[in-house]
Amino acid sequence: MTDISLHLNTDEIELWAQGLLPAAQAIHLADCSLCRAEADRERKVILELVQLPKFEPRAGFADRVMAQVKIPTPSENWKA
Amino acid sequence: MSAASDQQVVAWAKQGHEAAFRELVRRYERPVFSLLYRMVRDRALAEDLAQETFIKVLNGIASYRPEFKFSSWIFKIANNAAIDHLRRKSLDTLSLDGAPGAETPDQIRATSLQLGDRAESPLDEVQNRELGTAIERAIARLRPEYRSCILLRHVEGYSYEEIAESLELPLGTVKTYIHRARNELRGYLDDRRD
Repeated sequence: MTDISLHLNTDEIELWAQGLLPAAQAIHLADCSLCRAEADRERKVILELVQLPKFEPRAGFADRVMAQVKIPTPSENWKA
Repeated sequence: MSAASDQQVVAWAKQGHEAAFRELVRRYERPVFSLLYRMVRDRALAEDLAQETFIKVLNGIASYRPEFKFSSWIFKIANNAAIDHLRRKSLDTLSLDGAPGAETPDQIRATSLQLGDRAESPLDEVQNRELGTAIERAIARLRPEYRSCILLRHVEGYSYEEIAESLELPLGTVKTYIHRARNELRGYLDDRRD
């Protein structure tokens, strides 16, 4: 019999999707079909989001930005 | 320089070294542009807003306070630019039936919104390809506030605390927005699968 007081909340489901769920809740998850179904649906969405590509602006973006940036006068202690 | 922390690069920028400014652009152009593009769903506009964001940040670098993360500061300015644009856009009341003052048939025709008469440009094709997937379309249906929170959390990988700092929202509000956004996305994606 599953203890409903142990059902995972949304924060815990997110931790599980990241592989960070503490052992006690992980044991509950293994036993509770309700939580597992919920966690699986949540994980699918999170996975789709984390796999989204990063987009790039057109080439020359940095030059277009820098053309409008006022650079202060360099100081003496540059050590890069 | 690429191994230095953001705080160190900002310190160099404050000393007036162009390479440090360029390094900040290099580090953040993709995440800032990606966020803005997904917020406004228009490549050219996203690039204008990204450029505006960087110019504001880099010209204001002297006022940057190092107790805050640089990423929080730049995402705050980018997000504000996107939200301001979306608010202005929602206030634009473009009539399908022409301008309010248009009375004659010619005036009405000249000022009315024409739908479906514009050929798809190469840029439109790129946008449709990039933002046409089910998950991208689902993200577009979210409220802008939910959209920025979910993008910063799961696409950019920032913590709830960092998002709260960036967007100047209480931590509880950020958590609520992200949970609601995920629920709505699940709903949209489930509808797709049905």
